[in-house]
Amino acid sequence: MMFDLFSDIFTYRDNALTRIDPRVKLLVAVAALVAVVTSSRPVLPLAVFVFCLGTVAALRIPAKLVALRLAAPLSTVAVLVVIQTFVTGTTPLFALTLGGWTLTAKAEGFRQGLLLGARVLSALSIVLLLGIATPAHRIFQALRGFRISKDWVEIAILMYRYIFVLMDRVADLAAAQRLRLGYTVRGRAFASFTALAGATIIHSFEQAQRTHDAMRLRGYRGTMPFGPLPALGRRDRGILLVCLTGIAAAYGFFEWGIKG
Amino acid sequence: MMAVDVQGISFTYDDGTEALAGIDFRVEEGEFVAVLGSNGSGKTTLIQLLVGLLKAKSGRIAIGGREIGSLSAEELYQRVGLVFQNPNDQLFAATVEEDCSFGPRNLNLPETEVQRRVTEALASVMALPLRGRAIHHLSFGEQKRVSLAGVLAMQPEVLILDEPTAGLDPAGEAQMMQLLKNLNREEGMTVVLATHSVDMLPLFANRIYVLDHGRVLQQGPAEEIFCHQEMIVRAKLRLPYVSRLMYEMKRHDGVPINGLPLTIGEARAQLLELIPKDMILPGIEEIRP
Repeated sequence: MMFDLFSDIFTYRDNALTRIDPRVKLLVAVAALVAVVTSSRPVLPLAVFVFCLGTVAALRIPAKLVALRLAAPLSTVAVLVVIQTFVTGTTPLFALTLGGWTLTAKAEGFRQGLLLGARVLSALSIVLLLGIATPAHRIFQALRGFRISKDWVEIAILMYRYIFVLMDRVADLAAAQRLRLGYTVRGRAFASFTALAGATIIHSFEQAQRTHDAMRLRGYRGTMPFGPLPALGRRDRGILLVCLTGIAAAYGFFEWGIKG
Repeated sequence: MMAVDVQGISFTYDDGTEALAGIDFRVEEGEFVAVLGSNGSGKTTLIQLLVGLLKAKSGRIAIGGREIGSLSAEELYQRVGLVFQNPNDQLFAATVEEDCSFGPRNLNLPETEVQRRVTEALASVMALPLRGRAIHHLSFGEQKRVSLAGVLAMQPEVLILDEPTAGLDPAGEAQMMQLLKNLNREEGMTVVLATHSVDMLPLFANRIYVLDHGRVLQQGPAEEIFCHQEMIVRAKLRLPYVSRLMYEMKRHDGVPINGLPLTIGEARAQLLELIPKDMILPGIEEIRP
């Protein structure tokens, strides 16, 4: 399951989205994120969410994978909506009695929760789509192109690379524990899990040391050298212009064009 | 000129473990030298000292005629390159191309030269088709070859490898050794490899150093090394399987074998000399039980 969560095999497919320059995709994603986060109604975020999921479906990404990647944010959204509904606002919608406590849902809170939830879902679907259409190393390249701190990009590159190495190690260790009945009883499972977590931290320190040695032997002096990025092509510039215009138009339409 | 000249180096780890005790180690330019030893014999410590990852407590290490202490990191790592045992320790970039270009870019070479070196290095390990692939999508054997390419792109004079065949299947092992042989014989690169795998060494190594408990027990060509049975046992090593077979046939069955064949080719030639010509049948395609 963890491997599915981080798998990037779909980013290596050849399709209209994967062929677009990563800088264009990153800029469009950032513009879309700004639009949904600053929207004052849930319509735009929900429309973006539906658009992103529709695109993901059109790219034939397995629904199970999409559900897996959205499972955690969906649960966050659910909690968010419930808390907002019962904590914020004044106009009662309905009341619930639980163990002698009466909880009153409020219309303003529900609307606020819905808006926040829609923003979260929408933002995550944008990131999901970006992650499905762009290999991580190309996103890092794009970040470098935008002069994001080299240190941050370097750390992100190393984190991304070693997620897979450490996941392999954790999977092996966990299997070795399971084969020796490490997870059969709750107490033992807890002990096994904490030992696994400790071992993973130690492995990651050791791995970092060896990797640093290997980097030094190839001339590393504290900064990773990055290759040059080609100039944006006319096609990519056109796509960027169309997408940014589309986002601005959608924002204008949903924010000011329709009265809700 | 000596490619590697080590004189009287000793090294003791902080916990008091004496890893090397005053050893001498020399490799001539263009030689293929194997450092053979069991686990804990000091092989890895020796190669880490050669590339400056560890500092010797005493003794002298020179690469290409210059002491490593007098070389800048940039100079040192263009003279000597190390391929780690586990490719995951070495391959840290997201793609093959990025990883291979890491060293040349650190040398501040022009981008065209960086690309030329990457292409050349990948071609020399037969990994050009992997150029755009993500590292975590490669098989273990591919990762091993790409990690070698990453070091070759630095164009070192001396290539050092720590257990280059560890974890590879027989075909991968043969391919890796053949790659190293080509680099040595065709491109004249000095190769030093640390290993405890004895079967392929007689085919490739000009000389072998046998290490045990941080000391050099013996050094010389393979045919000299494997004649010293007691020393081999003391170093917790063994003869190549084919040599062991011939040795047992000579010792227990009285088969008149000259010397000790170290490779299948040598053993075959010796056996053919012993079998009467009229007993030899025409070639067969496969062996049936």
